Amino acid sequence: MFALMPVNIRLAVRSLNRNRMRSLLTMLGIIIGVAAVLTMVALGTGARGSVEGEVRSAGTNLIFVRAGNYTRGGESVGIAAGLGAAHTLTYADAQAIAAQVPGITAVSPGLSRRTSVVSGASRAFAPVDGIAAAYAKAYTWNIRPGHMLADGSSEAVIGRTLADNLFGKGFDPTGKPITVRDAAYTIVGVTDDTSDEHNEMLFVPWRKLQAGEGIDYLDYIVIAAEKAGEASRIADDVKTLLRQRHGLASAANGQGYISQQGGGAGRPDDFTVETQAAKALTQGLYTPAAAFALANLPKLDEVTLSEMADTLDRASDTMTALLASIAGVSLIVGGIGIMNIMLVSVTERTREIGLRVATGARSLDVALQFLIEAITLSVVGGVVGLMLGFVTARLIGWALDWPVTVSAQSMALAIGIAAAVGLVFGSYPARRASLLDPIDALRTE
Amino acid sequence: MPVISLEAITKVYKLGDNQVDALRGVSLDIDAGEFVSIVGPSGSGKSTMMHILGCLDRPTDGHYLLNGKDVSALSRDALAEIRNRQIGFVFQGFNLLPRTTALENVEVPLLYSRPILPAAERRARAMAALEMVGLGNRADHHPNQLSGGQQQRVAIARALVNQPSLILADEPTGNLDTKTSIDVMRTLQELREKQGITIVLITHEADIAAYGTRIIAVRDGLILSDKANAPRPALEDEVAPVPMAAVN
Repeated sequence: MFALMPVNIRLAVRSLNRNRMRSLLTMLGIIIGVAAVLTMVALGTGARGSVEGEVRSAGTNLIFVRAGNYTRGGESVGIAAGLGAAHTLTYADAQAIAAQVPGITAVSPGLSRRTSVVSGASRAFAPVDGIAAAYAKAYTWNIRPGHMLADGSSEAVIGRTLADNLFGKGFDPTGKPITVRDAAYTIVGVTDDTSDEHNEMLFVPWRKLQAGEGIDYLDYIVIAAEKAGEASRIADDVKTLLRQRHGLASAANGQGYISQQGGGAGRPDDFTVETQAAKALTQGLYTPAAAFALANLPKLDEVTLSEMADTLDRASDTMTALLASIAGVSLIVGGIGIMNIMLVSVTERTREIGLRVATGARSLDVALQFLIEAITLSVVGGVVGLMLGFVTARLIGWALDWPVTVSAQSMALAIGIAAAVGLVFGSYPARRASLLDPIDALRTE
Repeated sequence: MPVISLEAITKVYKLGDNQVDALRGVSLDIDAGEFVSIVGPSGSGKSTMMHILGCLDRPTDGHYLLNGKDVSALSRDALAEIRNRQIGFVFQGFNLLPRTTALENVEVPLLYSRPILPAAERRARAMAALEMVGLGNRADHHPNQLSGGQQQRVAIARALVNQPSLILADEPTGNLDTKTSIDVMRTLQELREKQGITIVLITHEADIAAYGTRIIAVRDGLILSDKANAPRPALEDEVAPVPMAAVN
């Protein structure tokens, strides 16, 4: 039955070639349907791919603890301290987090400054952060050339862009002295991070930065979760731990204050815990706007990347539903078109069928010939639809700034659907052909 | 053993409430190597006979033994196999596939032979059949590039290609002028003489029937007469004068 496949396919191609215009018009429904299927899958997988890409590029799912908190101005009973302006975080907090919260791979204390950095005759104004060696692990830094700074040393790691500005493009600055607020450091490595932010910064050991200023607090603590999906849980644990450590856990002070963060009774947090998602969300917002956003979206810090992915999925679901209905309708219409044209073809070729049956074709041979013709018609339509869909997906991706992925699987799916349409809608005409009485068929003019 | 043996064959068609007795008890033996002409006016039952002989239709009653095997009650697909292996058809309207080369037309029956022949083998056998009817040099011509006589010879090659024991020719000269008709009849006569193929010819023209070795006249579903015949030689100089316009 399959040995005649090449003959049948050749016959089908010849027959379709004979009525080129008719074949093309018949294929139109399939072309549009397959194009819609491909576009749909391309937009859907593209969106998913980009979210996965974000999660992956983040390396680990990071949690940020900052000193201070947003407060709602006059309504606040607690001290209204701006973000980063409070002196509530300590190294002991970082140690406690590392020791008591499970599922953490790295914890680094942090201090943020903007100041002049001087190396020889070169001078720049740059963000300088005091960090621990674990910072490199949290951000999965590539340090080249050189190596990461050691805790408690006078070593410094410089961002690639800042190094280029100070020493010239591509210069290897390892071993160069650099001075920050009268404290001398030696550059031991260059971070080649993907984020522009880090590339423009200088990193020094936090202890030396603290000592230079005579302070004992931290601006932030960076925590890296072992598993990306656990960021929310870790953020909760860290918050509970810090409220305990900062003596905020008491619910009995009767002030009636409802914390905007965590929703529990007691004094407001004197710190802010953000997952990477929340940080991404508030980045670029003015402080009041960020404060408003965070205050009005309780548990925003529990928003994880997977939840953001869900949001994007919902948007792509809407588009998928729209395209799926276009695809469904045009595939059905296209299938009916194929059925119609195949019925016409069976009628036109009644004598041919009669001749084939008279010379020994079995019912199955005749059915197969017309079925293969229908499938060939729909698959050729499918291939044209594939090309159209490819262009459409790119156009929509470009117009809506939506990520688009055309995979081999989605192409195979589209062609498979086209073939299935040919099979389903071609079987009735094929059956009609196979049941023709050869005597009547030969008599037809 | 006769190639064809009909035993009291009847065929009844029901058209609404009317019952048409197309054949009313036909018994007939045809031996290998005979060239039988079946003649009769339209409505005589000769077409029905042709359909039953060709295994395109089944008798209402009676038995049909083809090469000794009773084929009267076989299934549709079993009959297809018999037609493929044992019977070659030649039709009045040639029934060649348009826009298909002569060679591919001749190949058609081979497509339905089981076990399936390899493409090269199909091609070689079709070519041999075409050469047998003297059209080896027209193998790649399409039917519309061939004359009527050539088209009918392609059809004969198609009937021959599976080496059948029987060729059924249904009004093979009906669409041809006299000269071409004689060509075609000569081809059929040669097949009988050189290869011993049994030929059954259905016609309503007495002068075409005269090319056979036996003439059976059919009327009203019964055999009217059944006589041996000294076959008329298919020679061109015997062509009766015909008007110039009819000459191909």
